Amino acid sequence: MKNRFMKGFAAVAAVAFVTGLAVTPAHAAGEIVVWADETRGPNLAKVIAAKGDWVAGYTIKVVTYSSFDALKDAFDKASGTTGPDIVVAANDWVPTAAKSGKLAPVTLTASQKANFNATQFFDLSYKGKLYGIPVDINNVAMIFNTKLVSSAPKSFGDMVDYYKANKVSKNLKAGLCIAGGGMSWGAHSVFSALGADAYLMTKKGTVNTVQSFNPSVFGANVKKYLLDANGKSNGFFPASDTGCKDNFLAGTVPFAVIGNWEWKDYVAKGFEMNLMPVPSVNGGYGHMFGSVSGALLTTFADKHGVAAGAKSLLVNFFASGAGQAAYQAVEGRPPAAKEASSSTMLSAGQKGFGSAAALAGIPQIGAFLNNNKGGANYWDSAPAYWTAVLIDRKNPVIEARKLAAIWKGNVASGKSDL
Amino acid sequence: MTLFFKGRFALFAKIVILSIVSAVLLMLCQSAFAQREYAIAGFLLLAVLAMNYVYLTNKRTVPFKFFLPGTLFLVAFVIAPIIFTVVMSSYNYKTGNIISKEEAIERVSALGVEPDENGTTFDIVIGKAASGEWEILVSDITNNRYFLSTKSTIADVPISDLKRNEFQVATEAPGFKRLSAEVLSQDEGYSKIQYKYLGEYFIVADQPEVGAVFRQTLKYHPENDTFINLQNGQVYRDNGRGNYANPSDKAQYLEPGWRAPNWFSNYAKLVTDDKVRGPFIRVFIWTVIFAVLTVLTSFAFGLLLALALNKAIRGRRMYRSILILPYAMPSLMSILIWAGMFDTEFGAINNILGTHIAWFSDANFARAAVILVSLWLGFPYFYLISTGALQAIPSELNEAAAIDGANGRQIFNKITLPLLFQILAPLLIASFAFNFNNFNLIYLLTGGGPKEQLEGQIAGATDILISYTYQIAFGSNTQDLGLASAISVIIFFLVASISLYGLRKSKVLETFG
Repeated sequence: MKNRFMKGFAAVAAVAFVTGLAVTPAHAAGEIVVWADETRGPNLAKVIAAKGDWVAGYTIKVVTYSSFDALKDAFDKASGTTGPDIVVAANDWVPTAAKSGKLAPVTLTASQKANFNATQFFDLSYKGKLYGIPVDINNVAMIFNTKLVSSAPKSFGDMVDYYKANKVSKNLKAGLCIAGGGMSWGAHSVFSALGADAYLMTKKGTVNTVQSFNPSVFGANVKKYLLDANGKSNGFFPASDTGCKDNFLAGTVPFAVIGNWEWKDYVAKGFEMNLMPVPSVNGGYGHMFGSVSGALLTTFADKHGVAAGAKSLLVNFFASGAGQAAYQAVEGRPPAAKEASSSTMLSAGQKGFGSAAALAGIPQIGAFLNNNKGGANYWDSAPAYWTAVLIDRKNPVIEARKLAAIWKGNVASGKSDL
Repeated sequence: MTLFFKGRFALFAKIVILSIVSAVLLMLCQSAFAQREYAIAGFLLLAVLAMNYVYLTNKRTVPFKFFLPGTLFLVAFVIAPIIFTVVMSSYNYKTGNIISKEEAIERVSALGVEPDENGTTFDIVIGKAASGEWEILVSDITNNRYFLSTKSTIADVPISDLKRNEFQVATEAPGFKRLSAEVLSQDEGYSKIQYKYLGEYFIVADQPEVGAVFRQTLKYHPENDTFINLQNGQVYRDNGRGNYANPSDKAQYLEPGWRAPNWFSNYAKLVTDDKVRGPFIRVFIWTVIFAVLTVLTSFAFGLLLALALNKAIRGRRMYRSILILPYAMPSLMSILIWAGMFDTEFGAINNILGTHIAWFSDANFARAAVILVSLWLGFPYFYLISTGALQAIPSELNEAAAIDGANGRQIFNKITLPLLFQILAPLLIASFAFNFNNFNLIYLLTGGGPKEQLEGQIAGATDILISYTYQIAFGSNTQDLGLASAISVIIFFLVASISLYGLRKSKVLETFG
């Protein structure tokens, strides 16, 4: 029996060895692995493959995940040597991933830095170190339906007046709604238009970490523009983004905040890119988050022995005008690099969002927005305000005071992470 | 038929199947080993050896041929996760404390550098010195200075000795052996060197063509396990919770940290930390109420239907088919449909009732919705098992009771129900345990909400322990896996205890008849 076992085991070992050789994966030497989501991945693969020598001596492999959440999940779980060398991700990954030792800092030369707006580096920095290259701008802008509104509104009040005057006759479902970016990120420009910014910026472009918005003024504006005499929502601004896009496309909402990743859907439905920031109550504009997505350098690159090559790919491709222009011509988002933003390959939609960002964009600073030391982070507290006031009919000023206290606490706690 | 179980063909098939399975497991073993997951690698190797031993020997191992696959899966997917969870519950394991201590020291050292005041960078060419060590040829074009630098030496090179390109970047120098991009891509050892520069500053080959000037600001001293800030002399010591911290100011610590044992701190936090304790108790109470109400309502409704359809009525088969439809439909779809039906603006329920109830914004309405949906999902199961159980009760018992003068209610209360409990008690307990951890329902229907975010609430009104745990572990940017593991362990013991207690009680019921 022993003899039979030995013979059998030898046969199994031989076959297993041969099969194992055939299926054993290996991180090839000199191979830079880039992880991206389901939209960016195929586009990056296409553009990188079209010009094979972005980094001399290295091969580049793009791994595409089925969704942004799947990408995040995989990156969160990556450990040891299982992670990518570069991950194309949201800026708010930076604080947590850097804090956990998954990201490595990037050093740019002065000329490379000059190709970007300095505030874009805010988004990808943690404790004074830069962890990636801004790849594209993610922002929203307000689109207005020219079949309903002949000219751009001058103020928030203009939009509310239009809605009240035409609500019944034009069967309007709402006046202004959030079609892209959700009730926190996408709705910041509405908060800001009414007087509540997540954090205040100084004229020098730095953050005012001492003051927060004035809750009495903001609450009074909410009461004046969004509520009726009984303290109930007047229907102008829904507390939920459900159905907003469909309603706008159907012509039953005159103004909508849309994301720059979906402008093609509106063009396809025959809408012109009448884009602008949300006008504020005093004639200015509500600030929108002009965040960037980043190509982030990971510490796995060092473990794979390709850290220098990965940095070269970041600089030669992701940070270059040529690389971003080629990529964004396929991807369709506004590029972050200045050299690429003037490219003739960009569409009217990409330029329209770029203009809106230039007029009223503020950096999206994860150190504040993700912070929950004030009681809740921005992402949870912002929609909670709309629910409390527009659905639960709570006092807009009292709720605004709570909101201001939360955001102020988050800024105070997060400033040490800048 | 014997061809498949005996003889050369059977042996050949066995070897092929074993080989394929062994190859896959060995591949995973190698991968795990490469990722320093030694426990997993060891388990996979043992599994391969055990499999081959059991399936390639006879007689003595016959029982194991049936038990082995199940045992391996049990160890891999039940016992190991439980052990891992228990171990992790005694660790400070959260965002910022994910990696090992060795990795953390490496990262803190790598981050403990700062560029010079001007952020100076140079064009460099990488090669090797005559001694064989890494060397860079540096072009300081602004100052018209060119030099060769290694880890320990720096030597200026006269311009006349250099070969330069059109951008004035030096490409060749005497005694300098330039390496090609292909060679460098195979060995990035050059990027780990701190090339000598001025004073405390050094050059790092950040990319194959760019060198940046830095100085070290944090230095690790392994002899006393401390980091020292070279600029101000500040010492950072292991604080015992996974970070190097300033002993005089504990809030000042270096990042990243590592996962470090904190023994029972996570459990203690559940009792001592107000921010954790309050929500935990509230969530626990609601979890018990939810599980009990779900089981009771589903069982009562299922039993009612089973009793109704236990009598011969016209169309009974059709009714029975219809009643199990909710059970046949994937619960995921049912929950999402119900979520849509409860929508305030467009939901069918408000439309039918003619109301405008914000079902998921009000705590009581949200809880009622959760119970209603769990009833919908649960009653067909209880209807099915109650039907089966009713048919298993001998009709003679009812007939005898009727002859003795018992009325219908007495027969049901004194005979049918106790016998049903005797049969169904284990299933009721299992259902309670299932609902105690019914994550899908809560996550998909209400997301645990509503939550008073502006009041700083961290647990929603419909959060049950498992969804609360998920929220702590994965629900926000700051993940606390250690605390979540501690709550998971508590859930495990709670469910196990309640189930054991229930099973013992059910044995008492066995004696009823």
